[in-house]
Amino acid sequence: MTPRPPDRTAVDAAKKGSADLLILALVDERALHGYDIARQIEARSAGTLRFTLASLYETLYRLEERGWIRGRWAERPGQRRRRYYRITAAGRRMLADQREEWGRFIAALTLVAGVKPA
Amino acid sequence: MTEWHAAVRARAERDGVDLPSATVDELALHLEDLYESAIADGASPASARTRALAALDESAMSVLTRHAASHARRRAVRRAEDTARAAQGGSLQVLTAIRIALRQFRHHPGFALVTVLVLGLGTGAAATVFTVVDSVVLRPLPYAQPDRLVTLWDTNHAKGLAHEPISPVNFMDYRALPVFKDAAAWWRPAVNLADPGEDPVRVNTIEVSGNLFDLLGVRPQLGPGFPVGGASYVRNDPIAVISDRLWRTRYHADPSLVGRQLVLSGVPYTIAGVMPPKFHYPDDVDLWQRLGWDLTQHSRAAHFMEAVVRLADGTTLERASAASNALALRLQSEFAATNTAWGVRLIPLLDQQLGYYRPALMVLFGAVGLLLVIGCLNIASLLLTRALSREREIAVRVAIGAAPRQLVTQLLAESLVLSVGGALVGIATAAAALPLIVRFSPVAIPRLDEATIDLRALGAGLALVFATTIFFGLVPALLLLRGRLATGLRMADRGSSRAARRLYSVLVVGEVALACALLVSSALLVRTVGRMMRTPLGVNADEVVTTKVQLAGSAYRSWRLVADTHGRLLEQIRLQPGVGAAGSTNFLPLEVGWRLPFGIAGQPAPARPEDAPQAQFQTVSDGFFETWGVALVTGRSFTAFDTADSAPVVVVNESFAKRFLGDAPAVGRQIVSRASNIGPLGFNLMRGDLRAPPPVYEVVGVVRDVRNAPLGQATEPAAYFSMRQFPFRELSVTVRAADRASAINAIRAALRVASPNVPFSTARTWGEIFASRTAEPRLLMTILLVFGGLAALLAAIGVYGLLSWSVALRTRELAIRMTLGAKPSNVGALVVRHSALLAVVGLAAGVVIVRVAESLLRRVLFEVSPSDTASTAAAAAVLFAAALVACVPPAIRAMRVDPVEGLRTE
Repeated sequence: MTPRPPDRTAVDAAKKGSADLLILALVDERALHGYDIARQIEARSAGTLRFTLASLYETLYRLEERGWIRGRWAERPGQRRRRYYRITAAGRRMLADQREEWGRFIAALTLVAGVKPA
Repeated sequence: MTEWHAAVRARAERDGVDLPSATVDELALHLEDLYESAIADGASPASARTRALAALDESAMSVLTRHAASHARRRAVRRAEDTARAAQGGSLQVLTAIRIALRQFRHHPGFALVTVLVLGLGTGAAATVFTVVDSVVLRPLPYAQPDRLVTLWDTNHAKGLAHEPISPVNFMDYRALPVFKDAAAWWRPAVNLADPGEDPVRVNTIEVSGNLFDLLGVRPQLGPGFPVGGASYVRNDPIAVISDRLWRTRYHADPSLVGRQLVLSGVPYTIAGVMPPKFHYPDDVDLWQRLGWDLTQHSRAAHFMEAVVRLADGTTLERASAASNALALRLQSEFAATNTAWGVRLIPLLDQQLGYYRPALMVLFGAVGLLLVIGCLNIASLLLTRALSREREIAVRVAIGAAPRQLVTQLLAESLVLSVGGALVGIATAAAALPLIVRFSPVAIPRLDEATIDLRALGAGLALVFATTIFFGLVPALLLLRGRLATGLRMADRGSSRAARRLYSVLVVGEVALACALLVSSALLVRTVGRMMRTPLGVNADEVVTTKVQLAGSAYRSWRLVADTHGRLLEQIRLQPGVGAAGSTNFLPLEVGWRLPFGIAGQPAPARPEDAPQAQFQTVSDGFFETWGVALVTGRSFTAFDTADSAPVVVVNESFAKRFLGDAPAVGRQIVSRASNIGPLGFNLMRGDLRAPPPVYEVVGVVRDVRNAPLGQATEPAAYFSMRQFPFRELSVTVRAADRASAINAIRAALRVASPNVPFSTARTWGEIFASRTAEPRLLMTILLVFGGLAALLAAIGVYGLLSWSVALRTRELAIRMTLGAKPSNVGALVVRHSALLAVVGLAAGVVIVRVAESLLRRVLFEVSPSDTASTAAAAAVLFAAALVACVPPAIRAMRVDPVEGLRTE
């Protein structure tokens, strides 16, 4: 029996669905620019989670349009001019909701499917 | 544009997405970051570049399609902005500068808030007061050529009378002078207006010569009015004109009223017209009866008419006055018996109508102007402090290459933001304050209700605000930029700052001076009101309720009936519950009684009749002195038995007894009076046959003086007739009761019993009446106190600002002093001395300002001189204390300077 590659469709869908949560959680800590956000997601998830350039910015612009985050061009000492993203009050509420949802979801996965945090 | 930009654009084009340039920027920067982090990881430039481009390659730009589309319309906006920038570089820069200024003020709201409030409140208050002054004082009266209208008054220098009603016969002589084009005269009968089926009412009425409306140039809105021309001056057929207010409130604006008859005090009058709305000349009059008797047939000695004249074309007030005075002198010699010492005085109508308000409003206007200037000086100091504290900032910015033009734009923008803020607050203040003032003015100021916000005033105030902020915001900065920058970096605490400190001191001295002038004025008004309130009146009657009762018409033809009815009315009032005492009089305190000659029995009559002694005569009832708390010195007061059937009696006041009866006991002495009647108002029942010798009145009592002259004039000798012997149709009925309501109920109930046809008019307590006599100075005093307080506060803030700033700048100097052995107390004293010096110089200048305004102030003061030491001292003490308090925090800061730290600061 040849080993089959694991079916990734479900996990990809979950990753996609979690993009909003990830970004909101990061900019909740402090204002970040796009490259920082990408780098931090990659670093913190040890490479498990990664955005392409276009999908990262698509997500940022979408969140911005919904009023959950806000981007501002700014210059910081010794750095290039960049667009920094910061969470809004509405975004913070959304983040709390999503954290709760995902918490319930992960707890359910653990109970039902024996999934444990790595 | 970098190669990363080009790469992003190419990739987007490949995917058919037109990305907004900001997005391209952002993605390009991201790629650059990737590239740099790869280099940092040790990759070669070529492989780092490949890594970055790989990230771009794996991205499907199509996911950004929606984002690109939503940006299309924003792009249009940006294009427009780009065009604008290309077209006029300046405007956008100014807008940016304004944005920066706004942000700065948001971060440091204290300074901006104080500035905007001081400017706004100052302008608002000034505009409001100017509006009031303009509509009350400066705007012409609503009559034809109002500046040609003049009022005519009698004067008597021997008696110190400057403003008396005129005698009808004298008036007719003045009227004939060619300096007058026309002249009208009237007196004020009180009229009871009776209509079938309605309560009778008392109406403010004048009986006036038929030419009044023609003279003023006002036509009735309805009906012909009084006929013009010919023998219209005096006619016997009774016609009257009513006011729009009376027409609407009592007759429901019925146009058929004209031509109908109304019963005025029992006499039917034909209504000849209705005057236009708001016309109540001379003051609050609702009914004008045409004069029905010949003025020349009256007496030169009776002064009870008022008059208005129109100056002949080309005649000045001075010429008219000169001609009138010449005539007065001729009348004095021709009719010595009646006219000795009587002169004439012409007062322009507007001055007459405004009375106290004209000088009062001018004082107020001056005060609010001072306040605004103080506010501006304060702002100037604030801006100056700010500019100087930014001296180093500006110097640094110039040193690292900021263009002076840019800096100036920035400072200009800051001033602009402040002045616009101040202007908005000012406009809001004026818009809010004016209706409140009109509505809640505690005294009726003539013409105030016609006031609307004056745009010129507001404009002038705003211009001052703009000029101040821009001048004091910009000029110091410009000076810094031009001259001092070279030294600025090294010597922030010397050079320009010393000059600035001098300028600053001048500003503070100016503020203290103006505040001092304001405070002295308000202190003078406080003393004025105090003097007025403390003037002894000789009565103790604040709670006494008074109302006027007139017994007129055919029902009261008999004078005995008038006397009996007034007597019965009082008896009925005394029967009502809660009533302590009741009495009636034809003159209340402060009113001047009839001045009549008399003789003293046992003394030879003077050779010339005009040399006969003269005193005020007044009629009071039994119970009057008791009701008013007038102390009896000796003898008795009137009783209900002092009637026409008993012996003639009088009561005199102490001044009378002292002046005319000498040291001998007054009671039992006799005086002779020829008084038989006072026009149609009163009648002496004791004087039966005019050919018989005049009655001799026995003095039965002496009472303490009751003030029978306006505030500021001496109480005159007075004799009182018994109301039952010398009755008047109209008397003030006065009641002392448990409370106001029971007094009013008692009067109403008694009227129903004693004289059912007589209306009950309004009732007021003596306390209220007296308060209304002093209301005008009290209002002025209150406003000036508020202004003075504000001014003192602003001046204190100014002193505080100056000293704080100068302590901050002198930190190094103070530190050196301390290092060299000065004690903290020495340093504190240095600061306090500085403050005290400024305050003293300011106070001296303030006293000079008061001297300049002395002639105006004199007109609103009462028994207080503008150079009153107590007021000046009080105001100076307040300001000096404020200046000292203001220097406490900076002094403490100076004493806490740490020599080591202080020397380290540059």
